[in-house]
Amino acid sequence: MFMTRFVLDLLAPRTIVHAHCDLPCGVYDPEQARIEAESCYRVIEKYAASDDAAYRTRAIHIKEERADLVKHHLDVLWHDYFKPEHLDKVPNLHDLFWQATKQVSKVKASTDLADAKKLLDLIDEVDAAWKATGGLEKTRVNGRPS
Amino acid sequence: MGGPWRVAIAEASMVPVLQPGDWLLVNPLGREWPPVGSLVVFREPLSGTLAIKRVAGGPGDRVEFAGGFLTLDHDEAWLTADADASATAAAGFGPPIDSARFGPVPVENLVGRVLFRYGPARRVGRP
Repeated sequence: MFMTRFVLDLLAPRTIVHAHCDLPCGVYDPEQARIEAESCYRVIEKYAASDDAAYRTRAIHIKEERADLVKHHLDVLWHDYFKPEHLDKVPNLHDLFWQATKQVSKVKASTDLADAKKLLDLIDEVDAAWKATGGLEKTRVNGRPS
Repeated sequence: MGGPWRVAIAEASMVPVLQPGDWLLVNPLGREWPPVGSLVVFREPLSGTLAIKRVAGGPGDRVEFAGGFLTLDHDEAWLTADADASATAAAGFGPPIDSARFGPVPVENLVGRVLFRYGPARRVGRP
């Protein structure tokens, strides 16, 4: 027994090599998606209030960038934060994310403020689902800033 | 001698061929990228972390990157993970990190070529 351990200790590598993977940080918050969706909302307002063609073109471009970020943040929540066991508390979870990400696509192509407002409402529903599954307590370091 | 002869695997981007905890013999004497398909230990660009991946492309090869293509320089290799994101997730890790993330790897980052797995006993053999 002693000899076996001795030989194994002798043979054991001293160097670790990493078959490297990402490490999910475990921090998730629908607020990230909401802030980008609010940007879409405000940009649509500014677009409507301007008659400067260059400004309106920039506004459209920025709105599309922000909408892509909304979709990214929703995807991260859907794929990484939410787990199958959360369906007990939020039975409509998949339908909610499907609607929300579809609505992002609509906002990306639209200059109608009502579309951006509907997206904000859907993100608020995602936020409620995140809270109902303990997201606030589990995934922020010190909770949300007050 | 450019690096260690014996290494142990951590993390799961090379499953199922290499499992976390495998012990490997490495030849640290090579100064050129071994053929495509070889397992290599190298230092990751940017981080310097000692890592292991498979050679998927060597000097002069054309590889897909960032929605386009690039041709590897005379001293560069393209190193990829064996596992996809679902395989690493099943092992409890995030998506694999390889050349798709850090790009081509210059030969000065090569540490050695994997020769043999000598542990654990039930997995001894050429990986």
